[in-house]
Amino acid sequence: MPEGTLCNRQPIQTDEALKTLLSDTGGRQYYQEMQSLPVDTPLLWETIQKTCRSRIRTWLSMCARCGMCADSCFLYRINDRDPKQVPAYKIQSTLGEILRRKGRVDNAFMQMAMETAWAKCTCCNRCGLYCPHGIDMGVMFGYLRGLLYQQGFVPWELKIGAGMHRVYHAQMDVTDADFTETFAWMVEENEEDYPGLAVPVDKVGADIMYTVNAREVKHYPEDLAEATILFHLAGENWTVPSRGWEQTSLAMFAGDWEACKIQVESVYDAMERLKPKRMVGTECGHAHRATVVEGPYWAGRKDGLPPVESIHYVEWLAEALRTGKLKINPEKRIKEPVTLQDSCNYVRNHGLKEITREIMSYIVEPGYFIDMSPNREHNYCCGGGGGLNGIGLYRKQRNKALITKRDQILSTGAKLVIAPCHNCWDAIRDLEEEYRIGIRWSFLKPLILKMVEIPEHLKPEE
Amino acid sequence: MFKKILFATSATEACDHAARVAFDMARRYHAHIDVFHVLGVPTRGYSQVVVDLTTGDEVTLDDNYRDLVKEEIRSYYDHQIQTTDDFAITVTIGHPHREILRIARAEKPDIIVMGGSTGASGSYAHKKAATGSTFQRVAKAAHFPVLVINRPAASFWGGFFNVVFATDFSDAADHAFAFAFKLVKELNCEFHLFHALDITCFQTDNFHTQDTIDDQIRNAIAQIRFRYVSKMGDFKPYAMEVWEGIPFVEIVKYAREKQADLIIMAYNTRQTDDPEASIGSVAEQVILRANCPVISINRSVGKE
Repeated sequence: MPEGTLCNRQPIQTDEALKTLLSDTGGRQYYQEMQSLPVDTPLLWETIQKTCRSRIRTWLSMCARCGMCADSCFLYRINDRDPKQVPAYKIQSTLGEILRRKGRVDNAFMQMAMETAWAKCTCCNRCGLYCPHGIDMGVMFGYLRGLLYQQGFVPWELKIGAGMHRVYHAQMDVTDADFTETFAWMVEENEEDYPGLAVPVDKVGADIMYTVNAREVKHYPEDLAEATILFHLAGENWTVPSRGWEQTSLAMFAGDWEACKIQVESVYDAMERLKPKRMVGTECGHAHRATVVEGPYWAGRKDGLPPVESIHYVEWLAEALRTGKLKINPEKRIKEPVTLQDSCNYVRNHGLKEITREIMSYIVEPGYFIDMSPNREHNYCCGGGGGLNGIGLYRKQRNKALITKRDQILSTGAKLVIAPCHNCWDAIRDLEEEYRIGIRWSFLKPLILKMVEIPEHLKPEE
Repeated sequence: MFKKILFATSATEACDHAARVAFDMARRYHAHIDVFHVLGVPTRGYSQVVVDLTTGDEVTLDDNYRDLVKEEIRSYYDHQIQTTDDFAITVTIGHPHREILRIARAEKPDIIVMGGSTGASGSYAHKKAATGSTFQRVAKAAHFPVLVINRPAASFWGGFFNVVFATDFSDAADHAFAFAFKLVKELNCEFHLFHALDITCFQTDNFHTQDTIDDQIRNAIAQIRFRYVSKMGDFKPYAMEVWEGIPFVEIVKYAREKQADLIIMAYNTRQTDDPEASIGSVAEQVILRANCPVISINRSVGKE
């Protein structure tokens, strides 16, 4: 059987191809074609031989099938403890099986593997914390996604998302001109309230280069305005790059390794070009993972680090509050029960668990902050991580996955959930729309803006 | 004066009164009217799925769906659309206030016309995304006058003839005056300049005698002469008054007494994103209560 016109092994390389795939509403034709998409088994086995290194092979062979990982997986717990949801089972029955069969698997197997890789694992890496051997299924599922993507077995939205990165260097069809223009628009809207407000574009040698999530540009540019105002109030010497501003990577969710490299290199190029002292990324978890944690390896950087020190927005904010660059009006601190979502991608996987709590200590009146249980590195995924939020085919599974977070939030009694991560923010918004538990959710920036003191010299003339 | 009207509508009952005024203005002033509708808010992260703001359903967005919604809007306003041949219907997705601001910035209309609160009608998603706050956010940030019709515009019989300009002597009020004066001159209207002296704070302050209030009224009259009348040249059909009381109540009462078909005033607030301060400014209170259209003008209007 030949490959399909939409569902095939070719990555999206042009705007025209993107539009064609987008016009296939909900991926109807795409998934129909997937039913007969042949598996290129020689290519699959060749790729495995070249890319499946000792770590994954060792993990797969040393896994004792003890099942200690089972209870660590929120998807196992929420799906009636179905043995097929045990992390070890999920990876052994997919990646493990492909290796054992030396890549000789068929279409039905690949479709099963696709569902397992995207609807039964959000790559939250919680299982790795509980495995006695430290085996991390999330990492292995990330690898499996790469094999599936190469063979064309990838959810429709993620094929589009990876294509966006290849065509636009952004997760959405937002051009570089759109990006700088939107910042200019936000300055226009706010300069009367904040005289002197400006967004320096391509300033060489600034202290901070700020990178964002394309969705902020496309759908809620208020986020860009808030970031601009807070940098302004903190007196930061900052800039945004006119190219290489997108910090996120749907390519990572899709398993499109080549696009991962293309995307992160565009950000690193901006760092090399503008030579900032540091890069600060927006309130996004996977963007941090893609650009700061995994990106250096995709780009082949020997030191495993981005070209300049790169920090998450919560790190900058905690520092600004700690050092007094931003001062909170104590009268305006949050005085209602409030809880915090720990993003897997920068808390469990990058150790920023205390930083966010330090921020809480500045912005919440003592006695009102209530941690979820479990929390910090033990916290559960929001339910929509790893790309699951955006996949129509697996909406049902995603909605079920949200129940864990719903119940965690309900147990706190808080009506306000602070979620400094786009993916978590989306999932929590969706869980409210799905289950109506009467909560509000927020990034940090809008909350800070309501309580920050404006220095005298930056106030508008009355 | 009004050659290009941007009518931002939810295409529900909440915008019916606004539609009447918007299409009437288009016909009367031979204006082009852009009927603009935000059909849904994006959901599912980066995906193509949106929550339809009218039905509350999740829909996958494609050209067919857009065309379908356009057709529905056309049918909904069929009667009014027949009165003009210079119109366009645009639908998009996003957060309503942001998309209205985006198209306004691109199209540079002479005026944005909106309905008021969607109130009890509309879906859960619609209420969350749009109610009230859409107007607040547009009114705060738009560089164009925003005309809002919240209640049935009982005293609006077509066209503007009797205009109240309510001032709080702010910078934004100066912009509002410039716009109002241009309007009354071009459209040959009667012009009522009005200030409401806020005495709500006097209740706790016994030092303010009636003499003090009278002094302040005289001062306000002088201010109106100095700030506005002095710039009106030989324009004659005007009157001015200052009443004491609760400002929004006095403005609404004054407009009613003068049988005004339009109130023009400044929009002064910086708290638009706070749901608890949702009905904060005098302009918002007037909009909620007036039985004629209200045009709000912020500090940015006329800047470009």
